[in-house]
Amino acid sequence: MEKIRLEGVLPRVFAGDTPRPSEVWRGDVTFRRGETVLVEAASGAGKSSMCAYIFGSRTDYEGRILFNGTDVSTLRPAEWQQVRRLNLAYLPQELSLFPELTAWENLQLKNGLTDAVTARRAEEWLTRLGIIDRRDYPAGKMSIGQQQRLAIVRALCMPFDFIILDEPVSHLDEANNRIAAEIIADEARRQGAGIISTSVGNHLLLDYQRILSL
Amino acid sequence: MKLVDRLLRRNTSWARVAGFVVSNFIGLAIVTGALQFYLDARGLWEADDSFISTDYLVVNKRVTGGDVLGGDNTRFSAAEIDDLRTQPWVRKVGLFTSNDFRAYMSVSGASHSLSSYIFFESIPDSFVDVPSARWQWEPGADVPIIISKDYLTLYNFGFASSAGMPQMSEGIMSGIPIRLSLRSEDGRVEKTVNAHVAGYSNRLNTILVPENFLREANAEMGTGSQQAPSRLIVDVSSPGDVAIDRYMEEHGLEVAGDKSASQASFLLRLVTAIVLAIGAVITLLSLFILVLSISLIMEKNRDKLHTLLMLGYDLPAVGRPYIRLAVTASVSAFVLATGATLVMRSYYLGPLEGLGGGGGPVWVAPAAGLGLTLVVIAFNILAVRRRVLSAWRL
Repeated sequence: MEKIRLEGVLPRVFAGDTPRPSEVWRGDVTFRRGETVLVEAASGAGKSSMCAYIFGSRTDYEGRILFNGTDVSTLRPAEWQQVRRLNLAYLPQELSLFPELTAWENLQLKNGLTDAVTARRAEEWLTRLGIIDRRDYPAGKMSIGQQQRLAIVRALCMPFDFIILDEPVSHLDEANNRIAAEIIADEARRQGAGIISTSVGNHLLLDYQRILSL
Repeated sequence: MKLVDRLLRRNTSWARVAGFVVSNFIGLAIVTGALQFYLDARGLWEADDSFISTDYLVVNKRVTGGDVLGGDNTRFSAAEIDDLRTQPWVRKVGLFTSNDFRAYMSVSGASHSLSSYIFFESIPDSFVDVPSARWQWEPGADVPIIISKDYLTLYNFGFASSAGMPQMSEGIMSGIPIRLSLRSEDGRVEKTVNAHVAGYSNRLNTILVPENFLREANAEMGTGSQQAPSRLIVDVSSPGDVAIDRYMEEHGLEVAGDKSASQASFLLRLVTAIVLAIGAVITLLSLFILVLSISLIMEKNRDKLHTLLMLGYDLPAVGRPYIRLAVTASVSAFVLATGATLVMRSYYLGPLEGLGGGGGPVWVAPAAGLGLTLVVIAFNILAVRRRVLSAWRL
């Protein structure tokens, strides 16, 4: 997947409101593979909605979203599942970990679909993010910051053309933010992938080529 | 994918699943058990008269004083036959054809021989339930004959003992070659043919020959004035129907032979149908238990399903643990029910065989149970797919 284009997209709940200045809503935005973009906004501007729309988990919007020119509303469930396994990596704001499974099982659940990442590499990431000692802990018993780091690693456990990160470092200190940014940037560079990250203030410490305000 | 199974099986109420297995087992056991018993018990009434289905009634007009004086009032007119055909309980009506020539039968034994003028009748072949190979006649071949069992009884206990003739079993009688001498009324055409007894009937008071034989013989030797039939064979939808008795009474008709077999067979079928319906209802209710309990588990696990789908799991893959649960539970109930039916059968088969029944096919009832099980599974697969799709669209 080379391009993701948002054409006149607007959350339906905003439809009756007086238009606020936005570089995304009602606009024409294209995210390109290999590009690093930050989408900044105040709380309530619809960052998570935008991520969910691109990822196909929500469809309550007006306008069109196109993958390489194909309207995503025409994709069948099986095609979406393929996109989620091979093209779009996603870190949702709510993390969506399985609390009853251990950290390692959470990773296996995702990595088992494609075997994109070796166990050694995943352990290396956990080590760098300082949660290797929580490898066999139930995810639900980890602190929210640890869970966020685990969810970042899980998002990387697949081949991808784009990685969408919804407020990825909201619970991380600067040191961990920097490590996470390094890992993500390395992995994106290795795969030639694009990064779309959102933030309300504390953003992932990357060199952004574009910053859009929502 | 053990992890997925472990995740999705959470919130499973094993008590509810067990409740399904038990109720589905009861429903299926009633269905397969009743069906198996019906198939085995059916032989009680049908085995000794396999030529004529118990659904067939032989009907004639009551002979009254006036008929003796030479009237032809016992024959059925075309209008009367048509009226009978239009009755709601009638499936089809067949006409008896009689011989339109003289027939003389002789049986020669080692020491005795027996001969007599006789008559024949035929009915349409579709009413005779004999394998076609045994009920076939071609020019030059032996003529198969079905005679009334009563004739053999009359001979054995009425005639043979008083006339010093040997008594004969059905088997011996069937092995004896019979010579038939046929002659046209004017004596111009004469021929002899060989015949043998192909079977005995409790329900047909006649000497029955294949339709094509009689048709050919009548054409060759008959006077050509074939008269209206005096007996009809009627295929009825339910032999125990009171409407039949009422009609017969009103039109002065008689039903020949033993009707109790018809009525018993009708009752057996009625009772079986009621029991089958009860079993089917229980099976249906158990189906709802399973669909509901699986839907409930899936509803409780809806977020998990959604997350797995967001991770990229295929829709069928996340439905599979539930389908596997439905299949395992349904198949267990089916296996138990089939086992129970076979155990039950082993208990009643002895006594039933003593009465002359038993020996029904053993595959029909399990096949019916399997059919119901497949219905249960199909419904659950549909329900699971709908739930998965709704979790996908969360």
